[in-house]
Amino acid sequence: MTSTVDTTVEPRPGRAPSGLVAVGRAPGWVRYALLAAGLAVALWLPNGLYPAVAVDILCWALFAVAVDLLLGFTGLMSFGHAAYWGTSAYVTGLVAINAGVPFPVAVLAGALAAAVLAVPIGYLAVKRTGIYFAMVTLAFAQMVYFVANEWRSVTRGENGLQGVPRELFGLDLTDEYYFYYAALPIVLAGLAAAWRIVHSPFGRVLVGIRDNPARARALGYPVHRYKLTAFVLSAFLAGLGGGLFAIGHRLVALDTLHWTTSGKAVIVVVLGGIGTLWGGLLGAAVLVRLEDWLSFSGFEAVGLVTGGIFVLVVLLFRRGLWGSVAALVQRRWPTRRN
Amino acid sequence: MTGFLQNTFNGLVSGAFYALLALGLAVIFGMLRVVNFAHGAFYMLGAFGAYVLLAEAGVPFWWALVIMPVGLGLLGMALERAFIHRLTRLDPLYNFLLTFGLTLILQDLVKGEYGVRSSPYAAPAELNGSVDLGLFDFPTYRVFILGFAVCVCVGVWWLLGHTRVGMVVRAATERPELTRAFGINVGRWVTPVFGFGIALAALAGVLAAPMRAVNPLMGADLIIVVFAVVVIGGLGSIFGSVAAGFGIGLIQAWGEAYAPAILAQTLVFIVMAAVLLWRPAGLFGREEAPA
Amino acid sequence: MAMRRTAGLAAASAAVVLVAGCGGGGPQASGDQKLTDDKIVLGVLNDQSGVYLELSGKNSVKAVEMAVADFKAKYGDKAVTTNISVETADHQNKPDIANTKAAEMYDRRAVDIVLDVPTSSAAEKVADVAKEKQKLYFNIGAATTTLTGVKCNRYTFHYAYDTYMLANGTGRSTTEQGAKNWYVLYPNYQFGQDMEKSFSAAITAAGGAVVGKDAAPFPNTSGDYATYLLKAPTLNPKPDVLGTMQAGAELVNVVKQYNEFKLREKGVGLAVGLMFLTDIHSLTPDALAGTTYTDAWYWNFDARNREFADRFQKETGTRPTFAHAANYSAATQYLEAVQAAGTDDADTVVKQLEGKSIEDVFLRNGKIRAEDHRVVHDAYLAQVKPAAEVTEPWDYVKVLKTIPAAEAFRAPSADCKM
Repeated sequence: MTSTVDTTVEPRPGRAPSGLVAVGRAPGWVRYALLAAGLAVALWLPNGLYPAVAVDILCWALFAVAVDLLLGFTGLMSFGHAAYWGTSAYVTGLVAINAGVPFPVAVLAGALAAAVLAVPIGYLAVKRTGIYFAMVTLAFAQMVYFVANEWRSVTRGENGLQGVPRELFGLDLTDEYYFYYAALPIVLAGLAAAWRIVHSPFGRVLVGIRDNPARARALGYPVHRYKLTAFVLSAFLAGLGGGLFAIGHRLVALDTLHWTTSGKAVIVVVLGGIGTLWGGLLGAAVLVRLEDWLSFSGFEAVGLVTGGIFVLVVLLFRRGLWGSVAALVQRRWPTRRN
Repeated sequence: MTGFLQNTFNGLVSGAFYALLALGLAVIFGMLRVVNFAHGAFYMLGAFGAYVLLAEAGVPFWWALVIMPVGLGLLGMALERAFIHRLTRLDPLYNFLLTFGLTLILQDLVKGEYGVRSSPYAAPAELNGSVDLGLFDFPTYRVFILGFAVCVCVGVWWLLGHTRVGMVVRAATERPELTRAFGINVGRWVTPVFGFGIALAALAGVLAAPMRAVNPLMGADLIIVVFAVVVIGGLGSIFGSVAAGFGIGLIQAWGEAYAPAILAQTLVFIVMAAVLLWRPAGLFGREEAPA
Repeated sequence: MAMRRTAGLAAASAAVVLVAGCGGGGPQASGDQKLTDDKIVLGVLNDQSGVYLELSGKNSVKAVEMAVADFKAKYGDKAVTTNISVETADHQNKPDIANTKAAEMYDRRAVDIVLDVPTSSAAEKVADVAKEKQKLYFNIGAATTTLTGVKCNRYTFHYAYDTYMLANGTGRSTTEQGAKNWYVLYPNYQFGQDMEKSFSAAITAAGGAVVGKDAAPFPNTSGDYATYLLKAPTLNPKPDVLGTMQAGAELVNVVKQYNEFKLREKGVGLAVGLMFLTDIHSLTPDALAGTTYTDAWYWNFDARNREFADRFQKETGTRPTFAHAANYSAATQYLEAVQAAGTDDADTVVKQLEGKSIEDVFLRNGKIRAEDHRVVHDAYLAQVKPAAEVTEPWDYVKVLKTIPAAEAFRAPSADCKM
């Protein structure tokens, strides 16, 4: 059994290669070295950065991986994932405020709520593909935004849910530094789950559907149901991120549901590299850190910088950060077919 | 009754903006298979351009109505050649992303130059006042917008039906595979058609300037509703986009007048969900060959 | 096989992480900083890229810098320290960013006091941060009364205005001046609803009546208010005045369409809940001529204000809004309190400030209430002049009436538990 999947996107008939990334297969020791290095960085992060910024990076990384699960491995670009990130944030916040349970339980409840919301939306959205899918998810997310805005008795509207507690068996997690380490296992579990999904037979079918839906259908796979499952799983993971974000900031704001949040998630994925899964981690680290820096720099045009970087990446470095590194690795250790 | 008619009229006026924007999106999509996220930004640039022309050069509304669509149409063509063209052979999602990035840049450029505050723009004196429509008086400017937008839509319809380029566009929009199979050279029309779509957005922007707040973010939320409009009408259908534009304008106006607020705001999305259930390709769209 | 091993490794590492987290480094201690480091840092946290950019934004940073310069000039060698600096960050009106930036300012940038913070959700969040970090926070840019209600705390002061002041000032004064029947239009979100409640209460208390009210969608993506504006003159009894609670770009839309439908000619006046000088500038005074609203401060009110406005214009090229003046005043009063206390220890400075009566360019008959940390001062009922009466740029309004400090703000709320 092969332990990896070739995520190269085959060009559709009549089209040039889409530019989605080919991940090379480095030898095992390189992979373990990378994993160890990644964990070391994750452990060190709040010592090198302001801990609250490090927590943001964790949450956004998980969010980006969730979006990439759908975009890179199922070929569906959701431009409305804020709906799941934000819904989970609200549910997490409400559960934490009203039930006083340990925060991981609240986050889990939030992520489940996001997954439940994803069922009807996903059911409708997977009827369309490509650009339509992006527009439909975007429109539904906007609807969720409007509902949250109107449903003030629950969401407190514009002011947001304030004072979300950070309960964990009576431990004092007020300090972001300690909270980072409390949140890290949840994020790692989410990342491991994403990895597991991609490398499962289910994940392989998804890639098959992405590359050639007609063939997958002909082979007897219920394409819609596979896509819907992927959509719901992705919403769940985005929800984990959103729930942690709510606990991390001890607040849920309306703009967790705004379309700009969905757009930022896509930017993070593209920056990191579509179809690389771990690219989102790099993308999140770079973008969150950059925004933190810009905010103190006195430079007003945040959108100009993020938009500019984004356009450059789309035009020139479609592999993204991770993909470019992976391409170097691949050149060093050319792909071996087994 | 009068109230109902007034609301209906206003719905058609809002619908005129949706229709012009959706029409531009549909024409561009037809030729390029690109959904232009920056359409809202060009709408904003149209309105802002009208303001800048008046404030800094004293150019009146009527000239702005010509200059902005032409100018931004040319800018659109330049952007098409410089950026979008490079990506047309790739998955159309890349162009969606590219135009999303362009939107952020355009918004910030305008913001950097003119700030976020809304800029003043008054309707031309000829269009001030009101018209007696039999049952009630109505602001002349709104009557003008509605009439003008309908003329533009009909004009575009005529162009599509009676000119060579129109036929190519129509064929490429509604039967893309067949058009290419017939060996029609679509390529040389791509850039002008993109410019034309942008010009329609700019036109909508100039029309909006006297009526709505002119600020860098004016197109951002609007474009999402327009996306819902084209999903409802069927992006592949030019007629569908226009019809859905006016229809959604009406539904929103009636919703605001007669439905609870939470429903009024989400109505357009509920309609979209229903359409997706019933006719996934949109009311007037055709199911595309499986991609 | 390989993947199972990797998964195992990941799990093991997660366990290591937990352990490391509990035993590991830990953050720097915070909270007991005195003037021992011989410096005072003021942090201006506001919107430098969004809708409040012109109302406050970078020019508020300039205003705070002016306050620092004036303080140094006033005390010279006798100042507690001459090492005073100003930090600033852009919160983009997002509460999560405001949260991180405020915490980072207090923890890492040695900021002693955070100033401004427009946008209610961000303002509330920073009140929590200030309470937790036990550092001072003067809110200027936000209008929510929760800052002196449920969110009030020892370290938070609400300086310039709030929804009660705006609604009460305009609703009450306009009704007292003869506009008895009102049609109230408000955006359907927290701010709009708070405003509508205070507004309606003020109208009724002054002997007027709300003959109709409607919630317009927020955000109003179609930008259209025709439905409501057409309805207004048809109500029975016909309203004398339309009270609109829309703000910013939405206010601009309402006013444009109010003029388009010629409501003023039809005998329906216009009163605005929340309006800033920058809104009048963008709509042009002609579009708003005759409109009344409540302002916390106006640059051309008297000679003292004007003198400040002239200096401000020299620095920034524009006239100050109330927010700029309030930032200047807040920074000045903080520095004065530190000077008087001889320390920048937050608790000592709070004691110094509480109950203090203040008279400065922004605060007239000002007093810092100890009960809820509301800074009360005179407010002004203003009316937009017709363009013909505007004699110089930015001089757009005349003050109809000074609302005395005692009446301008609400009584301390029972929600506030210090």
